Amino acid sequence: MRLTPGPGRDIDLDDVDLFDLDLYTSGDPHPIWDVMRAKAPLHHQVLPDGREFWSVTRYEDVCRVLGDHREFTSERGTVVTHLGQDDVAAGKLLTSTDPPRHTQVRRAIGSKLTARAVKSWEELIRQSIVRFLQPALDGSPFDLAEQALLLPAIVTGPLLGIPQKDWDELVQLTAMVTAPCDPHFQHGSEAATLAISHHELVTYVTDWVARRRAAGGEDGSLLDHLMHVNAGDAPLTDEEIALDGYSILLGANVTTPHTVSGTVHALIERPEQFDKAQADPTLIPNLVEEGLRWTSAACNFMRYAVDDIHIGGGTVPAGGAVVAWIGSANRDASQFPDPHTFDITRSGAKRQVAFGYGPHFCIGAPLARMTLRIFFEELCRRFGSIELAGEPQHLRSYFIAGMTHLPIATRKRHTP
Amino acid sequence: MESSPQAIHQRGGQDGTSPRQDGPSGAPLSLALDIARLWGEHLNRPEVGVEDDFFTLGGNSLTGIKIIDRVAQDYGVQLSVRDFYLAQTPARVAQLIEQGRAAA
Repeated sequence: MRLTPGPGRDIDLDDVDLFDLDLYTSGDPHPIWDVMRAKAPLHHQVLPDGREFWSVTRYEDVCRVLGDHREFTSERGTVVTHLGQDDVAAGKLLTSTDPPRHTQVRRAIGSKLTARAVKSWEELIRQSIVRFLQPALDGSPFDLAEQALLLPAIVTGPLLGIPQKDWDELVQLTAMVTAPCDPHFQHGSEAATLAISHHELVTYVTDWVARRRAAGGEDGSLLDHLMHVNAGDAPLTDEEIALDGYSILLGANVTTPHTVSGTVHALIERPEQFDKAQADPTLIPNLVEEGLRWTSAACNFMRYAVDDIHIGGGTVPAGGAVVAWIGSANRDASQFPDPHTFDITRSGAKRQVAFGYGPHFCIGAPLARMTLRIFFEELCRRFGSIELAGEPQHLRSYFIAGMTHLPIATRKRHTP
Repeated sequence: MESSPQAIHQRGGQDGTSPRQDGPSGAPLSLALDIARLWGEHLNRPEVGVEDDFFTLGGNSLTGIKIIDRVAQDYGVQLSVRDFYLAQTPARVAQLIEQGRAAA
């Protein structure tokens, strides 16, 4: 989807189809969300097959839906691709579990992912990123979006405990989960693509656990941590390990690449912002926050209303699916003045909700923030200029706002 | 893991070669019926037809994992994950089992 909205147009909210994949591949959803925030902060849509969902688009309402499990449960699934099918992993997969069990497991897994814990990986990650950027430095065309798909695996593979030979395959599988209709990743039907990718990822972790058990000992990796940590007063079940391992692979792989591509694209379109970051590297942490806000790679998450819930000037009936549009919340003028202006010096950029909000706030956020900071530090240090070398292409997904191609040509920076 | 999903997928199309009975590709109807029964157990459905679609019946990856394990146990054939989900009907899964047996 376009991250810089095109010219305004007449929008009839009764006709809007938020599940139209073309809207995200080649269209421009921001003007639609702008109108929804202004005129229909609670929007209802019925799909041709009869499934229906409500949408919230304002910052405040998005935070409420994501943040309050007593009103909006995660236990029937949180990903819109599964709208209307209750999550088979409910109560076992961390993202599909409400407190109090969620709190126990979250605390156990999260202890290894705090900002302090990930700090020790900083130098390792910097070396990986420098190696990643090297091929782009000689000025020949470099498809950043395509290459960036591998970046999380390069960065987090060693921390997760995933050997390099498996990265390509895992990156393909996680991309299939998030964009089962994108021709780059589809195998057979959408349902088959989702089932194949879920199956192979869960099996991958299960086999990994079996091998680690047979080998004995601990290797200090995050997946190892899942096997040995206590949640509440007992270890995670094998099913929880497999599902949460899957979820961690997914969370690591499918969002950061698009934040990288979308933010670099924004900087290409606005060379003055790139110049500012180069002139003052202390702006880079805020550039990262603005890039997260701007790209909102996880475009939405879903919850189900526990009761009849009054929100956004309307009522979601008990059991109704509610989609919280993060991409829209991050452009809400009540929080972000001139929301469609990309400004690396924006004050309050850190209020962005690209990592979600509340109990399910992204568990990998400290690692993602550090990785992105290092990425843009090295980018600004090494590259004098970046230009488009071809047409960008967007991911065919209403769940992940991303890019499949971003060809760039760069010049080396001469005066570091 | 890399198989030839496209070949399998084409067989599943509207080209009229789906084996309703003993076909030249050799999956007996009785095997297809056994697979349909197995799906019924895992999907909590009393009646599953040999041409029913796995996903329409509510199948997902967690049931798929169990069904593929059962097929390996009962028939000694380890189905490829991709082939299984692209096949999508008991009749075509029976065909995959026959092919697996022939290749063994």
